[in-house]
Amino acid sequence: MPSYIIRRLLLLIPTIFFAISFLFLLFFVLPGDPAGLLAGGAERNPDPIRIAQINERYGLDDPLPVQFVDYWKRTITWDLGESFLNRQSVNEILGQKAINSLRLGIWAIIIEVIVGIAVGLLSALRRYSISDRLTTVFTAGASAIPVFVLGFILQYVFAVLPNKNDWPSWIQLKTSRLGPDTWTLFFIPTGDQWRYLILPAVTLACVSTALAARMTRGSMLEVLRADYMRTAKAKGLREREVVLRHGLRNAMLPVITLIGIDFGTVIGAAVLTENVFSWPGLGSEIADAVGQRDLPVLLGLTLAVVVVYALVNLLVDL
Amino acid sequence: MRLKRKGAKLLALTLGLSLIAAACGDDDNDAEGSDSGSETTEAPSGSAGGELIDLGTFVGDPPEHVDPALNSTLDAYQVINAMYDGLTDIDASDPENPEIVPHVAESFESNEDASVWTFTIKEGQAFEGGEEILPSTFQRSWERAAELQGDYSYLMTFIEGGAEKLDGTADTISGVEADDEAMTLTVTLSAPYSNFPAVAGFQLFMPVPQEAVDAGDQWENEVMFGNGPYKMETARTDEEIVLVKSESWTGDYNGETWDDRLEKITFRTSADPDTAYNAMEAGEGDTANIPPGRVQEAQDNYATTLDVAILGSYHFVINDRNPMIGGEENLKLRQAISAAIDREEINEAVYEGTRTTSTGITPEGIPGWAADLCEYCAYDAEQAQTLFDEWKAEGGSQSGPIPIQFNAGAGHEDVVAIIVEDLAAIGIEAEATPMDSETYFSQLAEGACVICRAGWFADYPTYDNFMFDLFHSSSLDGNNYGFVNEEFDALVDEAKQTTDPDEQAQLFQDAEKILLNEATMAIPINWYNGDYVYNPETVANFPQTNFGLILWEQVTLAG
Repeated sequence: MPSYIIRRLLLLIPTIFFAISFLFLLFFVLPGDPAGLLAGGAERNPDPIRIAQINERYGLDDPLPVQFVDYWKRTITWDLGESFLNRQSVNEILGQKAINSLRLGIWAIIIEVIVGIAVGLLSALRRYSISDRLTTVFTAGASAIPVFVLGFILQYVFAVLPNKNDWPSWIQLKTSRLGPDTWTLFFIPTGDQWRYLILPAVTLACVSTALAARMTRGSMLEVLRADYMRTAKAKGLREREVVLRHGLRNAMLPVITLIGIDFGTVIGAAVLTENVFSWPGLGSEIADAVGQRDLPVLLGLTLAVVVVYALVNLLVDL
Repeated sequence: MRLKRKGAKLLALTLGLSLIAAACGDDDNDAEGSDSGSETTEAPSGSAGGELIDLGTFVGDPPEHVDPALNSTLDAYQVINAMYDGLTDIDASDPENPEIVPHVAESFESNEDASVWTFTIKEGQAFEGGEEILPSTFQRSWERAAELQGDYSYLMTFIEGGAEKLDGTADTISGVEADDEAMTLTVTLSAPYSNFPAVAGFQLFMPVPQEAVDAGDQWENEVMFGNGPYKMETARTDEEIVLVKSESWTGDYNGETWDDRLEKITFRTSADPDTAYNAMEAGEGDTANIPPGRVQEAQDNYATTLDVAILGSYHFVINDRNPMIGGEENLKLRQAISAAIDREEINEAVYEGTRTTSTGITPEGIPGWAADLCEYCAYDAEQAQTLFDEWKAEGGSQSGPIPIQFNAGAGHEDVVAIIVEDLAAIGIEAEATPMDSETYFSQLAEGACVICRAGWFADYPTYDNFMFDLFHSSSLDGNNYGFVNEEFDALVDEAKQTTDPDEQAQLFQDAEKILLNEATMAIPINWYNGDYVYNPETVANFPQTNFGLILWEQVTLAG
């Protein structure tokens, strides 16, 4: 086992190297030059003198290989550079945004695990019952509904309506943004924080929960037919024990892999949810960085996402 | 100045949702005064102090800059304007006739030909920290602004020696002379300019404290303060900017200190316009920006600033160098295009009638403005048809559809679609050509423009802020669309130097007529209107000037 872990960890290095190198190169294929944008090119026609100064300052006119080597030299010492746009340190941006993404991501995964697996399991055990059919309909709906539609509906029902109708305050959730930012044990919201967390977490979890439920159901149905299940029953074990100890454990394998992949997605690619709820996370920051051709921010944050993704997948595989 | 906002990518969706919202909202909403205006003159009694949470200023991205020397967007100017006072200010209490009045300066005067301006600075004014504001404060601040090379730094070239300071060949701006004994600031311009006092009050020329000079371009990331009614409470973050009342403020240009002004203003960034609006509806904020497609709903349930005509123009420019459309030989084609566009329909269908259909580039309210300068801006399909036929008879023929370009995802799709349809009706082939919005303007600068969308908000109430900055051949924008017209340039140059207002107005109008009629290098579409919505249950007074600026010191909460 230890040697497997070490091998997998070593494999991380080329994975990350190629992912980032690829992004770096891709950046130069995109239309629009960063110096022009930095000189105000998105707003007006930039002054050539300023473009030259900016190229000089950020080394953007160096030959590509030189820029590439410089970039890796800095990255290895964990210096991710500073934003082209406002000269904020990328390490700092990463620190702020990654924590928010992680907290939201953890809750989305918690919802996915609890709701997804429970619903899938019940559905499989009561196959063809009304609740099973309802589950099928709802999971299909949940995975098809666009994030912003769901987001706006949730905002309307849980935040706007309670406010307009003066419903009791405990029922009132918040439409958007991070909130008071108070947590214990890193991820447990305290004070009013939960009012801000709940809607984005549910929205972010929606699609993956539906998928997890479907997959649990399918996988469980398959397992229930397996020989070892019959053996377990024949041994005289109680139904509950058979299902949970023998059935669910085996049925969980593909579901856990799915959840591992989802974890990477909820951290790095929650752009739409983050946008709809003004949640200051990594996904929307990365999307903005692409639009603004803010290379250091883009590469720095992507690097972090790739690392997290690789590590979680390693964990899942164990 | 440009507005920096995310567009209407969710338009179709929101149209659907707002129906639901409207249906739900009808019975349980008791907001009074759905259309209560926001004229600067009326001041409903509100309660003193309090905190306002603004969700309407930063929609989309957080502001890139909030330093007066670096910013170039109207959004961030809202914050800057609350924190800094300039030499002069704009008295916009009569929207028809905005006036430049001395503010930090006590008075200003020029020599005969408007080439040397002397500002006398009021005694006893200070920054928040107690540092006194002297004529040398301005000298120092302007040098800093030139060194930081913000987007607006080209304005420094109006001053003698400004160009040298900008390109680094001089350490000081030779045309600026500060006499702290006599409290005078004498500015020698590189060319006579009768509207200089208007420019001198603009953000680039605002005074900054010594701390700002020391911090350089990082000042905006610190706890900023200036000489205005508000100062920062904490350093800005991407999520919010928090301003609190500055007790040391000496008042506006009338000396009025608005003692009942808000204690605290929190500007919050929302990633999405609909979310911001929902948040206001949920009581999480007091103001928002009206999302596309929800104008009616906003008007029915809340108060808006829609009735404030903003001094800004939405138009299309034409590339004179493009063989398809440019040059003398295509003049009639251009005139036909301009006359074929149904601007009323655009206003109704796209903007729900909230804008003012324009009859020129320069909007009403700019001194010297006159109505109906454009002869080809009224919808007249017959005239357009005749012009197009004449053009064809004189040998013109289309080599392919004319691309009409715009930055994608910012709500221009529908406008261009109507134009393409209007043109097709008289037989002109055109096609909508959306371009990547992040690089739109830099691509146009490289010559990609054929007919391309543009928008401009007045920085200060001068005619040349439209004619010079957008179309003069020595301004960058003018050059890039290939419009080089000696007669136009000469008229604008002469107008800038003319001190008599009537004579100046005539010269600018003549120049604009060349632009719109004799050359037809720009196609005006409409003039902007305010787009803030606020909750009248919590906000009593929310005045927006026709420069788009909110007069934060006059905002009051409902009692």
